[in-house]
Amino acid sequence: MTSTRCDRTILIVDDDDDVRNAVAEVLEDGNYKALRASNGEAALEQLRTVRPQPCVILLDMMMPVMDGSQFRARQQSDEALRQIPVVVLSAHADATSSTNMAAVAFLKKPVDLGELLQIVERYCEGD
Amino acid sequence: MESGRVSSSVNPLLAMLDLRAITDSIRDYAIFVIDPQGIVLTWNTGAQRIKGYSASEIIGQSFTRFYGEKERASGHPFELLAQAARDGRVEEEAWRFRKDGTKFWADVVISALRDETGQLRGFVKVTRDLSDRRKVEEQLRQSEERMRLMVGSVKDYALFMLEPDGRVATWNTGAEALKGYTADEIIGEHVSRFYPPEEARGGKAERELAQAAAEGRFEEEGWRVRKDGSRFWASVVLSAVRNAEGTLVGFTKVTRDMSERKRVQEQLADRARQQLAVAALGVYALRTPELKLVMEQAIRAVRETLGGRDVGIIVAGDRHGRDSAGGFPIHAADGSGKAYGWLVVSRDPPLAGDEPSFVQSVANVVATALARAHFEEQLRAAERTTVVERNRLLQAEQALRERDDFISVAAHELRTPLTALQLKLQGLERTIQGSGSPAQARLEGALRQTRRLAQLVDRLLDVTRVAQTRLEMARERFDLASLLRQVVDDFREPAAHAHSPLHVEVPEQVEGIWDRLRIEQVLVNVLSNAVKYGAGQPISVRLEAEEDRVRLTVADKGIGIAEEDTARVFERFQRAAPIRHYSGMGLGLYITKHIVEGHGGTIALTSRRGEGATFTIELPRFAAAAQEQARA
Repeated sequence: MTSTRCDRTILIVDDDDDVRNAVAEVLEDGNYKALRASNGEAALEQLRTVRPQPCVILLDMMMPVMDGSQFRARQQSDEALRQIPVVVLSAHADATSSTNMAAVAFLKKPVDLGELLQIVERYCEGD
Repeated sequence: MESGRVSSSVNPLLAMLDLRAITDSIRDYAIFVIDPQGIVLTWNTGAQRIKGYSASEIIGQSFTRFYGEKERASGHPFELLAQAARDGRVEEEAWRFRKDGTKFWADVVISALRDETGQLRGFVKVTRDLSDRRKVEEQLRQSEERMRLMVGSVKDYALFMLEPDGRVATWNTGAEALKGYTADEIIGEHVSRFYPPEEARGGKAERELAQAAAEGRFEEEGWRVRKDGSRFWASVVLSAVRNAEGTLVGFTKVTRDMSERKRVQEQLADRARQQLAVAALGVYALRTPELKLVMEQAIRAVRETLGGRDVGIIVAGDRHGRDSAGGFPIHAADGSGKAYGWLVVSRDPPLAGDEPSFVQSVANVVATALARAHFEEQLRAAERTTVVERNRLLQAEQALRERDDFISVAAHELRTPLTALQLKLQGLERTIQGSGSPAQARLEGALRQTRRLAQLVDRLLDVTRVAQTRLEMARERFDLASLLRQVVDDFREPAAHAHSPLHVEVPEQVEGIWDRLRIEQVLVNVLSNAVKYGAGQPISVRLEAEEDRVRLTVADKGIGIAEEDTARVFERFQRAAPIRHYSGMGLGLYITKHIVEGHGGTIALTSRRGEGATFTIELPRFAAAAQEQARA
């Protein structure tokens, strides 16, 4: 599932500025490139233009304009974006939603940094 | 022949009796001649037939032998002859005797026979046998007597006869008893006097007589008047009496007093009308919820049925304070036995017979309507209360739901800044790791606090899930003894910090099927509770296992709580200890209880203020299986 030439790029989709920035900061500290989007629509827009495409998408569920599940549906129906793995970050400890989302992992907020880095690294390995 | 033996002086007499041929042929009469001394001179066929003697036997014999012994002795035969000689004729009806001694009732006429000079020559005696007639007459007389006695003695019927013109001809005891007149007073009076004046004036009596004369019979029921002017309801049968020639000779009239029967009939009709009125009122009362209308209808029913002028309902405590004496009580609906009021009827003549019970029935219908109105009022009041209470409950439930929703949303909202905070702190920690900076310890403290915050948020969400019964169980087989030992180990440091030594009694291994994480939560909750309120006294933890269940006892010797509060500690946001410095939100035991019960187990707290607290948790070892059984 690891993407080729994704160049340790990670897309963070979260409507909360503080969370988005905090995640981006810790990822950048770990030598990742962090892309930021405040909702699903903004995320789709970036994915269509930005190169290289991210190795993994960290996706929040509850967002305005386009929420996590809507984004995921659109992403999966897009041939060019389908391959990018998704890790769900949610304040809802609802296990079923991650199943329906076909996410590679589910992280409950508040997210533990060690856990986050471990998962992210998995999809950036060998790049 | 026989006449030849009489003297020539008798010849003219014999000549007179030259009708001998005729007399001889007369069979029904004994006709014979006797001389002035009573010697039989002639004898005819009738005499022979009636008296039994032949002519030869009797001619020349004394006529006295036709009389009885007593009459002969008294000289009666010659008295008769003397009388006939004096008056020319004598007649009597009396017993006479035949030759064979039998007697017969005879009509005897003796006529004196005198010659042209007036000299008495003898007597002609004509005797007729009246025995048969007498017998018939006697029977008739007796029959008439019987009839007279019978008619006379009839008391229940007035039996009397009228002349063809309608005047009273006979009178009996019954007539006297019924009409009040004696026979002397009424015989000869016209029958119209028995009719009410207005009917008599209208010629009713005459019409009825005419109808009876025309049709043989007239029957009716109607009013009649007694001597004293009082009226009675009479059944009358008038029959025409005609003689053999068909001439009207009078009427028989039979009158019977039907007043009693009429009264009974009217009473029955009245009762039926009253019952109908009560039934109609009852139906009306059933269909009409307004008490006032029912009361008005009740008054109408009484007025229409009894014809009372003044009918009304007096309510008890009416300020007019009218006299309720004679009123019919309308019983109060409260079961006190007191009267709500009275149904009062004023009528002339006063109520009689079934009428009072009718009015009471009407009063009872009103009482029933009253009771229903009373009951409905209570029901409405109860319904109003119920609605208010239900609304209050709905509002309370709504408020609770809103609070749970709020807590749920708030918890989620809290997690977002916690995420940013924790990541930033952890990121910072990584950058200064190993630098020996004093900031590192402070960072660790900050991170502990964020973790605690995260736990509190988790617990809040648990509460809302429990409240909405969404607590999900993920059961698995594990060793409870080993889990308990781990949790106890985690608590050794805080227990030591609180100066409460932990005494533990745990079996080597206690396997069962439970939700591992939830059970861990339970153990943490009861242990943290014990440490929190242990007040520096020893805490004992004990796990006992039976075949199908386990018992965990956690006892402290701390501040305890009042016995009456032991049940409340399991409620939401309840904390028995009012002491401010104890941390927590009072949710732990609430969640604990739900988890234990979710496993089909029980949790109990025994405590006394100042004497510590003991939690006893019992769990089925195979809760899932037990629940399955319970469902089946």
